[in-house]
Amino acid sequence: MCRILAYLGDPLPVQRLLYETDNGLVHQSHSPRMMNKFLNLAGFGMKAWDPASLHPEDPFSYQATTLPSYDRNLRSIASKLASSCLVAHVRGVTYSSESAVAETNLHPFQFPDARVVLAHNGHLRQFARMRYALIDHVRPELAQRIEGTTDSEWIYALILSQLDDPFGRPRTAELAEATLAALRILREVRAAHGIDTSSPVNLCLSTGDALVATRVSFDYGWYPPEDEMLETDLPFVSLWYALGGEYARGERGWQMTATEPARSVIIASEPLTADVSGWLEVPEYSMLTAELTPGGLVFATHHLDV
Amino acid sequence: MSELATADFLAELPLFGGFDRAALETLATVARRRRVRADQVLWRQGDEAREMFFVLDGTVAELLALPGGRTQEVGRAVRGEALGEVELLDGSGHPTSAQAVSEATLLSLGRLGFADLLAGGDASAFTCRRCLAGLFTARLRGELGLLAAALGGEPAGPTGEDAARTFAGLEDRPAPDSAYVRRMASFHEVDPLALWGFLTSGRYVHCPPGQVLLAEGAPPPAYYLTINGAVEKVLVRGHRRVRVGLAGPGKAFGGEALIDGLPSPLTAVTRERSLLLLIPPDIFGRLFRGEDAVSRVFLEVVLRDLANVLRETLRPYARVLLGA
Repeated sequence: MCRILAYLGDPLPVQRLLYETDNGLVHQSHSPRMMNKFLNLAGFGMKAWDPASLHPEDPFSYQATTLPSYDRNLRSIASKLASSCLVAHVRGVTYSSESAVAETNLHPFQFPDARVVLAHNGHLRQFARMRYALIDHVRPELAQRIEGTTDSEWIYALILSQLDDPFGRPRTAELAEATLAALRILREVRAAHGIDTSSPVNLCLSTGDALVATRVSFDYGWYPPEDEMLETDLPFVSLWYALGGEYARGERGWQMTATEPARSVIIASEPLTADVSGWLEVPEYSMLTAELTPGGLVFATHHLDV
Repeated sequence: MSELATADFLAELPLFGGFDRAALETLATVARRRRVRADQVLWRQGDEAREMFFVLDGTVAELLALPGGRTQEVGRAVRGEALGEVELLDGSGHPTSAQAVSEATLLSLGRLGFADLLAGGDASAFTCRRCLAGLFTARLRGELGLLAAALGGEPAGPTGEDAARTFAGLEDRPAPDSAYVRRMASFHEVDPLALWGFLTSGRYVHCPPGQVLLAEGAPPPAYYLTINGAVEKVLVRGHRRVRVGLAGPGKAFGGEALIDGLPSPLTAVTRERSLLLLIPPDIFGRLFRGEDAVSRVFLEVVLRDLANVLRETLRPYARVLLGA
């Protein structure tokens, strides 16, 4: 299990999202508030789009299997970056020698030449039984780019495969449709293989000027016997968002300032502050879309039926 | 106010209906009287819960903080009413802020004093638990009423006949593995033998997705506890359908109407195929009114579940208020 964080809006210091609040993403790696039992110690990754950088359409990329709390490079970089879009992730895996902690398994995933990035909070139970059935739904040029051992990278390849141009920059609606189509394929493949246990698929995808996020689970509430992830997965995997002007410290602590129309959104597995009053819970079985336009941020919540 | 006068006041409260005079006078010695001025904040949303209040005179408002610095009043407590008991029960932070509307006199009961009320196995502790369940249910109806008002329109959606039809078609299943059930947070720290007494007091049934188990405005056919799968609790107003909560493993639904005898305040529909513990109304009544170890665990599960539902219901309310 993992924690994800995404931001879209006015350029914002990355350290504010990772470190400065009392439940920032780095804090969630070792002390998550809304996870039972598991910690997120298997690495950190982020893609950050900086409009003031060279080639602003390409994200700055940072990934390391070290614990982010002790990562001086990350802290230093975060203090220098102001990002208009960020997707970051701390990875949690079961405490087992079968889990592979490696750079190739770190999120967010971004294949060479691809514009879309993806981070995943959740896991497909019994993935080994269905992995190679997915090959029928993944374009060969994408399948050959899969380097790691995670289900998440396959989900990424599957979503890209649903796009007209997997290496282009899709419109928000197309990315949302591709995500929905990929989730439906996953459901079909699971059913074909008799897989019917709880598999959360909280995803966050971005192109740098748009975000698509899901809060969904297949077969929620059903678990294999003696499942080691049971306590973590009994509650529906969480996802929250904060929408407004600027994420800044005010009278009530760190909050999104009230602005109409909104200019910025943060989407996160759990609020970045212990005080959750500035946050809204994403409903279960739903999708969020957000897009930066010249007129401001266009944000919507959609019911997901997969 | 003397301790005798305090005891007189406590005697008026349904929560202490099972207490004899000596117990009330003992309680009066641990309850502290506080005078607060108009607009004084008693606690802020998210603060750690250290005490609850009974209002002796005056009015206290419960305020929900919303994103963007907005605040919404979600309730008012006047003489004889309580504040803060939910968070003392579940040990989480205050779900709302409390602020005096007028000058007010309050009786404060600390965390330990509150725990003592519920700790015993005697009749007064059982009465207290049942009254708390009634209080929580009334609070939940209040929250759902606010949500319904924010949605506007008339109740729509499935009917009692739909729920009765589902009930008649439910298929029996064997009891689940006790090791699995014990791992649910809802059942931690309760007497395992008594828990099993409760979990074997009904029957286990399977329900496919999309089936109506409760219909708003109709009496509930049973009290349900989700073992596997998930059940959506919704309010339907015209074409709008808002999910109030999702009852996944270890979460219950249908109890509110069996506690207060009123129609179901919401509709419940299976989202996933589900394995449910079904407790018919007569057995629910026996467990609810009983005063043995099994009833004690049952009441504890009911109270914890209601406390959780009360917190959850504020989330869709916040979304609806903000038009999200």
